[in-house]
Amino acid sequence: MPQWFVRGLRRGVVTTRYPDHADASASVLPSPPAFRPEELTGQIADSLVQICPSWALTRAGDVLVFDAGACTACGQCRESEPRAVTTSREFGLAATDRSALVKRIPLLGEAGQ
Amino acid sequence: MTPNASVTEIATTATAETEKAAAEALRRSVSSQFGRSLHIRTLDTGSCAACEQEIRLLAAPHYDLHRLGFFFTPAPRHADLLLVTGPMLRAFGVAARKTYEAMPGPKLVVATGACALGGVYQPDAFSYGSVDQLLPVDVWIPGCPPSPLGLLQGLLVAVDRLAERVSVLSFVAGSES
Amino acid sequence: MTALVLFGIAAVAWALAAVIALLAGMAGAGVRISCGLSALGGAAALAGGAAALLSGNSRVVSPGGSVVVGSLQLQASSLAGVFAVLLGVVAMAIALYLPRSRNEPSAGTALYLCAYNLALIASLAVLASGGVLTFLVAWESMALLCYLLILHRPRSSQVAGGAFWFLALSETGFVLIVAAFVILAAKTHSMQLDVIALRAHLVPADWRDTAYLLALTGFGFKAGLVPLHVWLPAAHPVAPADGSAFLSGLIVKLGVYGIALFAFRLLPEGPAWRGILTMGVGAVTAAIGILYALGERDIKRFLAYSTIENIGIIVTALGAAMTFLAYGQRALWAFLLLAALYHVLNHGCYKTLLFLEAGVTEHAAGTRDMDRLGGLARQMPRAGVIAFVGTLGIAALPPLNGFVSEWLIFEGLFQGFRTHSHLVAILIVLAAATLGLTSGLAIYAFVRGYGIPYLGMPRTRQAAQATERDQPTAGPALLAAACVALAVGAPVVLVGMARAIRTATGVVLRPILLPGKLTVIPAHTNFSGFSPTYLAVFLLAVLIVPILIYRAGRPRAGSDVAPVWDGGIIAFKPRMQYSSMTFSAPTRVTFEALYRPSVSVQRASDDPAGRSGPVHYESEATPVFERYLYQPVVRAVEWLADLVRPLQSGDVNLYLLYVFIAVLVAYLIVAV
Repeated sequence: MPQWFVRGLRRGVVTTRYPDHADASASVLPSPPAFRPEELTGQIADSLVQICPSWALTRAGDVLVFDAGACTACGQCRESEPRAVTTSREFGLAATDRSALVKRIPLLGEAGQ
Repeated sequence: MTPNASVTEIATTATAETEKAAAEALRRSVSSQFGRSLHIRTLDTGSCAACEQEIRLLAAPHYDLHRLGFFFTPAPRHADLLLVTGPMLRAFGVAARKTYEAMPGPKLVVATGACALGGVYQPDAFSYGSVDQLLPVDVWIPGCPPSPLGLLQGLLVAVDRLAERVSVLSFVAGSES
Repeated sequence: MTALVLFGIAAVAWALAAVIALLAGMAGAGVRISCGLSALGGAAALAGGAAALLSGNSRVVSPGGSVVVGSLQLQASSLAGVFAVLLGVVAMAIALYLPRSRNEPSAGTALYLCAYNLALIASLAVLASGGVLTFLVAWESMALLCYLLILHRPRSSQVAGGAFWFLALSETGFVLIVAAFVILAAKTHSMQLDVIALRAHLVPADWRDTAYLLALTGFGFKAGLVPLHVWLPAAHPVAPADGSAFLSGLIVKLGVYGIALFAFRLLPEGPAWRGILTMGVGAVTAAIGILYALGERDIKRFLAYSTIENIGIIVTALGAAMTFLAYGQRALWAFLLLAALYHVLNHGCYKTLLFLEAGVTEHAAGTRDMDRLGGLARQMPRAGVIAFVGTLGIAALPPLNGFVSEWLIFEGLFQGFRTHSHLVAILIVLAAATLGLTSGLAIYAFVRGYGIPYLGMPRTRQAAQATERDQPTAGPALLAAACVALAVGAPVVLVGMARAIRTATGVVLRPILLPGKLTVIPAHTNFSGFSPTYLAVFLLAVLIVPILIYRAGRPRAGSDVAPVWDGGIIAFKPRMQYSSMTFSAPTRVTFEALYRPSVSVQRASDDPAGRSGPVHYESEATPVFERYLYQPVVRAVEWLADLVRPLQSGDVNLYLLYVFIAVLVAYLIVAV
């Protein structure tokens, strides 16, 4: 018991000061993927839809529909197509409207970025 | 934000402007009622308990939600916010409704975790698939499990102390937000 | 004098009731007329008792008798007046209860009613007897008639067994009572109780003490002192409900009357050890009574053990009173006697009530087993309320009457330091501590005794279908009203009883009991005091005033009505509730040394996970007194009988030889 007390005094205050200050650990947390539309062909999109174990990815014609709410940040999509998918490092993803979590990513072969 | 506080008559009356003004008034009232002291009741509707572990860490010294004025309470009668995890198993439906109805208004419901938001499990004979099939949800917090920081951000969004930002995120690499 | 006249009216009314019961008891109208007369007799007995209380010991009246047997001597003493008031109340309540509880009167009902009314006369005769012979004849008649009452439904061997225990122990006690009276009558050369009381100081001290011990044991058999109590749990369950009510409400009190008669009227002066012994016996009885009550599932056995507990409390108070007298504390002597008599009245009221309600329950739900009942307060609201009043009274919770009388007893015991003897003061405090334990356990036991059958959900279909249509309510309601009246009107009751005590003991108790109009103090102003009336008013206000304030200031805005938060459970099942044994389990485990439960467990197989079939679990408290005290005595008697049996060989010649030897011996004695 005294050891714990002394250790605590030496370490000082460890409480995060979020939301007043950013927390350093935010960047190393697992996060949903970010997509590169310039690499997303229709074929790659279909394989991503197959691979996602959480039904977060569906294809609607020329658009890849990504449901950030259903994403478990497992990383399967990134490991299978590392050029098309990278990690987004976003952590504050709360939404007051469920549809705000559903993102439409344009596929390659469409005009635009 | 869909209000499930008891002031529903404000939202049903007039035009878009008055609706917007009403939503603003409600937001301000939520912030004033819950912004400094919020009692949270957690509800596990069939999760793997990873979300529960992260929720439990909120009370630990590193994240310490007490400094923000948030507290956990086991009694729904004393709770302002219902924090729901799990894919809402059908066997749990009665208990979930009873817990929700035992909370006095105004109350908020926050669904957290990929299961609760509709991922991981599809609706079938054993689960509804997502929490909003049974309860009206105000804030959704994704993650599997959501980190304590994500949970804190979600709770602060629920009581209007932080602005929600995911609607402006595009999840496209190389873009700004 | 008026008291005796009123007692005479009561006796006549009951005699008429018995005759009508015998002649017309098989018809409903006959039952009702008989019970009406019985109630009338009860009212007359009540009035006579009150008159006897207030006017003191009356003259001895000898309305008859013969030279051979002696004369019938009647006297209305103030001590007996208290018990006569109780007899009147109990008789009225049972008379109101009887007609509706016997829906199909039969020959058995007619005989029962006849025996019951005759038993009432016999009890009144015990109380109104002024002479030894009258007392003994009345006592024995009362015992035999009560035996007939218990035997009302003789078809099962259990009934016969229970009734036999009652008779056997009653007769054993009777032998000792006869011995006690004979000693006193012989030494004082008189058969009249008044004269015996006057000349008691002439009797040598050790004869006096022997007579008292014989009386304590003999009347203890009837009153139910441990270890002489075993007939109570055997006889009460098998007797019909009103029979049990009569037994517990009145007959055991006659045992207390006998002890009080010897302790306070005939032999008041005596050594302190008599009082301490009585007090000790009472305290042990109280503790053991309530501990056994906690192990009972049958409502009537439970109530029988609770009677034993209350008798223990009363006898403890009597014993402490005797101890105080031996140390010269006359005020406390009179005070504790008053407290004990008040408790007699109170216990008579609420125990009779509870037994009658047990009868209503048995009739409505078909069972006496607590674990098969439940939710009766919702099915039978009137019975629920009345039983609740009785439960509050017997658990000695304010503001009801049990609280007042137990408070008086405790306050008397707490003043043990006034005896100026350290040992005696410690013993009195030990007795008070035992009574404290008993009171706590009694509350626990009666939360169980009311909560399991009346509250919660019905545990069986019969309980769910119980209804109080066609069930008697007037009798128990009368007793509930009496309980409340005895509590709120405690000052009035105490004034009346103080006058009776003044006659019995010569101590003027009124100014050191009720200095003002409504506050009661325990015989010494510098000790303590409280007012039952103010307490009742205060408790009512504490209940009602906040409710009124809330209703006045309640927010007018719409409010939501939501169901009670039950933990989200889908539906409650009756088996999720406490059972009577699990509720009392902590106490039974703590006092395992007393219960010595025998446990037997049988499994369908030895599968350690225990999933292979039903498990049979049986646990029974060892009947300690029956096994280690009574069975050896019975075996010894049987051995003696076997020894003597050869005398009855059946051979006429041997019998003629006996006659010859007897004549020879008689001749030799006369000649010599």
